[in-house]
Amino acid sequence: MEEKKGKGVSRRDFLKRVGAGSVGAAVISKGLLDAPTVEAYPTESVQSPKGRSIVSLKVNGKAYRVEVQHRQTLAEVLRDELGLTGTRIGCDRGECGACTVVIDGRNMYSCSQLAVWMNGKDILTIEGLAKGDKLDPIQQAFIEHDGPQCGFCTSGQIMSGKALLMRNPNPTDAQARRALSGNLCRCGNYNREVEAVLAAAKAR
Amino acid sequence: MAQKEFSVVGKATPRIDGFERVTGKAEYTGDVQLPSMLCARVLRSPHPHAQILSIDTSKAEKLPGVKAIVHSFNTQVQWASGGLTQKRMIFNNPVRYVGDAVAAVAATDRYIAEDALELIDVKYEKLPYVLDAAAALKPDAPKIYPKGNLSVGDGRVTAPIKEEWGSVEKGFKEADKVFEDTYISKHVNNAQMERRVSVAKWDGAKLTVYASTQGISNARGDIAKALDLPLSRVRVICKYMGAGFGNKNQAQDYDMMAAVLSKATAQPVKLEFTREDDFIGMHGRWASEQHYKVGVKKDGTITAVELNAITNMGAYRKQSGDLTGCDFYNIPNYKKIVSPTHTNTVVAANYRAPAYPQSVYGFASMLDQIAFELGINPYDMFLKNRVRLSKGKSQFSSNAMEACIVEGAKRIGWQEKWHPPGASKGVKRHGIGMALGGYPFRLGLGAATIRVNRDATAHVIVGVVDIGTGAKSTMAIIASEALGIPLDQIQLASGDTDVTPYSIGESSSRTTSFTGTAVIAAAEDVRKQIFIIAAPELKAKPEELELKDGIVFLKADPTKKLPLAKAIHKVESEIIGRATTNPALPEGTDGKCFAAHFCEVEVDAFTGQVRLTRYVAAHDSGTIINRLTATSQVKGGVVQGLGMAFTEELLIDRPTAVPINPNYRDAKVPTHLEVPEIEVIFVDSYDPYGPFGGKPVGEPPITPSVATIANAIFNATGKRFKELPITPDKILRAVQV
Amino acid sequence: MKSFENIDPKSVKEAVGLLQKFASQKKDAAVVGGGSEYLQLMKVRVATPDYVVNLKTIPGLNYIKEDGAGFRIGALTTLSELEEHKGVQEKLLFLSQAAGEAASPQIRNAGTVAGNLCQRPFCWYFRSASHVCLRKGGEVCYSVAGDNRYHAILGGGPSYIVHPSDLAPALVALDAKIKIAGPAGEKTMPLEKFFVSPQVNARRENILGPADIVTEIQVPLPKSGSKGFYYKARERQAWDHAIVSVATVVQASGGAARDARVVLGGVAPVPWRAAKAEEFLRGKKIDDGAAQKAAEIALEGARPMKDNVYKVDLAKNLLRRALVASV
Repeated sequence: MEEKKGKGVSRRDFLKRVGAGSVGAAVISKGLLDAPTVEAYPTESVQSPKGRSIVSLKVNGKAYRVEVQHRQTLAEVLRDELGLTGTRIGCDRGECGACTVVIDGRNMYSCSQLAVWMNGKDILTIEGLAKGDKLDPIQQAFIEHDGPQCGFCTSGQIMSGKALLMRNPNPTDAQARRALSGNLCRCGNYNREVEAVLAAAKAR
Repeated sequence: MAQKEFSVVGKATPRIDGFERVTGKAEYTGDVQLPSMLCARVLRSPHPHAQILSIDTSKAEKLPGVKAIVHSFNTQVQWASGGLTQKRMIFNNPVRYVGDAVAAVAATDRYIAEDALELIDVKYEKLPYVLDAAAALKPDAPKIYPKGNLSVGDGRVTAPIKEEWGSVEKGFKEADKVFEDTYISKHVNNAQMERRVSVAKWDGAKLTVYASTQGISNARGDIAKALDLPLSRVRVICKYMGAGFGNKNQAQDYDMMAAVLSKATAQPVKLEFTREDDFIGMHGRWASEQHYKVGVKKDGTITAVELNAITNMGAYRKQSGDLTGCDFYNIPNYKKIVSPTHTNTVVAANYRAPAYPQSVYGFASMLDQIAFELGINPYDMFLKNRVRLSKGKSQFSSNAMEACIVEGAKRIGWQEKWHPPGASKGVKRHGIGMALGGYPFRLGLGAATIRVNRDATAHVIVGVVDIGTGAKSTMAIIASEALGIPLDQIQLASGDTDVTPYSIGESSSRTTSFTGTAVIAAAEDVRKQIFIIAAPELKAKPEELELKDGIVFLKADPTKKLPLAKAIHKVESEIIGRATTNPALPEGTDGKCFAAHFCEVEVDAFTGQVRLTRYVAAHDSGTIINRLTATSQVKGGVVQGLGMAFTEELLIDRPTAVPINPNYRDAKVPTHLEVPEIEVIFVDSYDPYGPFGGKPVGEPPITPSVATIANAIFNATGKRFKELPITPDKILRAVQV
Repeated sequence: MKSFENIDPKSVKEAVGLLQKFASQKKDAAVVGGGSEYLQLMKVRVATPDYVVNLKTIPGLNYIKEDGAGFRIGALTTLSELEEHKGVQEKLLFLSQAAGEAASPQIRNAGTVAGNLCQRPFCWYFRSASHVCLRKGGEVCYSVAGDNRYHAILGGGPSYIVHPSDLAPALVALDAKIKIAGPAGEKTMPLEKFFVSPQVNARRENILGPADIVTEIQVPLPKSGSKGFYYKARERQAWDHAIVSVATVVQASGGAARDARVVLGGVAPVPWRAAKAEEFLRGKKIDDGAAQKAAEIALEGARPMKDNVYKVDLAKNLLRRALVASV
């Protein structure tokens, strides 16, 4: 994509503005992107030509303003622009669940949401669960019950489990299985992941 | 049994890298971000067989942000592990299947790289093609290689694959009855969650590749060979790996493509596969057509087995194409001819226990059917014919197959629950089934370095990659046990060829036995040095000392003791132990782990839907190093078998030769909702040659799972399904309400 | 994904106006609700819109309103919200269940009721960038010569896709209506008439024009004494679309049907109403024999292809099961 010099804010201009260097450097430091006010979200994205906008979103309690291509998914922006690589992309087609995050209290595939649709949304990713070194009970349970094998689906499994526990603190085995059913695990560790979610419910 | 008391081996130990795995901090290859890194995508052939006449990249090059385009006319790099019997390049001409790589583009972001693929103009001359393996062997079939479509050997492999002992002619004469039948299995993708990705960067003449590989050492060797570099100038790093199940071992084409693009642009390049690329661009399990002839006595005793089979290897031969499911039975007379065959389809190669589950499905179905026809309970049939001698002659280093069968049957309640096949009537029909499996246990080359620091902590430095098995944790546990230093005092360095010594690669279930044995030897080396240093402190001779739980003490008088840090306080730096080990089983002894699986199903005769209601997996894997991760391995193997039994098959559209379901949705990988609680039993077993008595765990569990489910469906319906996967449509056609 | 411009309208009127403008400029514009389904088509470049009109920024399209006559469901209500709605669960449990059978939890959390009704086919030829099929402006329906195990057994030709919606059969069985906003204002019509057979147009699944937007679904309460069922046959219990689904609403008294609605999903390019079976059931005492007979009648015109013969039996069996359960 040619760098835009129009009235819109080009990605390169934006990067220069926040001081993150050349266009190839995809990681923008979170600190630089922190919006001064956490509560103020424009309800409208700033339209710029050829499919780019600045969006304001809240991720793990932090406000971000970031310029995105309209064709960038939330998963890509989390990983490539905000450096939150704990959200994995397994299929990029809404068919595996590795990219699951919690958006306004509901688990969704971040590969199947455009970042430009996320204005004003409150997003929780795997990085937002632990408080420093203190793990969320569901993370602790995933360690103790061997939730991760290869671990690539684990963030997604945990986020679906977390979304369940946020709405239903005492799920049954069947409810937990159904709540996780949008998360594939090719290592086949399904028993363990459900065990861990149920153990986390008990631990609360 | 020569078992001993262990401190940490044999317990259920959470993974040492659990924190990183549950917080998202674990860095997988795709998470690597380097300054000024480019993104690359691959263009693939839309034709099953075609000569490329020209590739015009001029339009794509004009797209702002496009930095380099490589293809067969400007890049000749061999992909050594991509072709066992042919010289395969990273870009081939002619292309031989829909999905064969044609070009790769590096651009400033992935979207531009994808836009550029649309702008590359390739002129093809279509060639005749063949999709079906049996048809490919006919004399008039289109030839994919000059010598024909039977994959011929290059010295390393033979074709067809032949194995024979005893005399099948004699065995069939001795038989009371001879049965013949054909079983068919389909191409199933490994479908690991992490898509293939490679990040390459050059620092002067040195290449670093962040690979998603099961084996950093063999990946380094492959890359060095392909690009004609000294080993010292190739560094392969893989810290966390999102599984592969056999299709990410060694270096693959995308590693070389990333390296070439990085060289061409003088920028780091990340080459990512899409999920569709992943389904068609690498490989899945080979499909097979297995024709069995089995001679038995009236009491069910096998007298002879003859197997004639074709395996469909797709367009290139990466691995054996063998079928080894008869391994678990005592067969006095045996003859096998397997013909690995080329077709213009997606490549087939290693997927967890490559030659087993499809062939166990065929042979264990065969035996289950024979038991039915002879009026024998399958339990008695399998117990009677279980293997005692390997290949009709060799002893096993350990063999607890009988315990697997007995304990597994007891747990599921076989004697109470089994009923004659088809006896369950009505809409919901109950069935119970079983099958035997396992996997070779081998010994071989391993290396490890252990550094004990002056504060009594230790670093274990090994070249393993943890593909999800828990290998890092297993190595740390073995080190802790062998050193006598608590597990929480041990750090593991792994997955970086500039730092870590050789490891075989996490394939063929060898990490624990190959590298684990070296860890024990390196620990012995360190302990010797520790005892020499500690001896004066404890006023004893080195050989009189013992180290356990971080305490050095006199064997004869454990009250005379010192904490390790005190015992070695005079050391100013560290104590380093090293070992390269290459043990072998004695001549005439074979190694194997064993398994007997049992399950119950409920078949809905209205919908053809089968629900797996109970599953019991009994395993002989010798001493279990870590019960927690080993149990998970067994559960996972069963789930993969479940997918292969019920739903999974790569479908190639016949009229267009295009794969039509290269995605998780249509490939129908099992979800949470298909999987019951899988009950795992490790029977009491100790192998005198394995590390602490251990044998492999990773591959055995998938081997009997498909057959176990298929046999339970037979018990429920009275119908034998001779072709995988056993989908609702097949059941509906066979079962009337 | 090809580059495109996302637009966030603030009102239905603005959205319709934009769509009209793009249509007049011959620009390819897509209307997106939850987006999870359409994005996948864009990623494989089967859909390459210039503009994406994102309805989620329009306030007031997400609601479930209940009055004595039934429910009014806003177009942007998610499948999860429909499934979990207490009033719907109490009065139309099978509709809640149909919503809960769709796709996966994450897709139900993002996917909308209107989106579920308007989703494009999940035919593997339609979703494959390599196959320029009839529905994408090509010459042939690849299922005819290809692998048609999941394709239509009823109402097919020249295209043999099956309508993938779980909600549609249930809603049609409930005599639901659909409200559509367009350049000429708003109109409300029976949902059954919303879907388009390939004989009428093989390139679209519904009657929506380029500047039309679904705004509401209206679901009347069935007559008292009615029981509804939604059964879905699938290979995997998550993600999979129906191989066959059946939605039935039977109003019975004393074991006999006074009225019946029988709708099949996954068997035809549109939700397939089995009117003759409904007629047969009216006034009949419903036992297993009558249910079997009704099922036979429902599938009478079935023309399966080489790989999908089983769907005929499957549909009959599911229907039999639902009807027997209805009394």
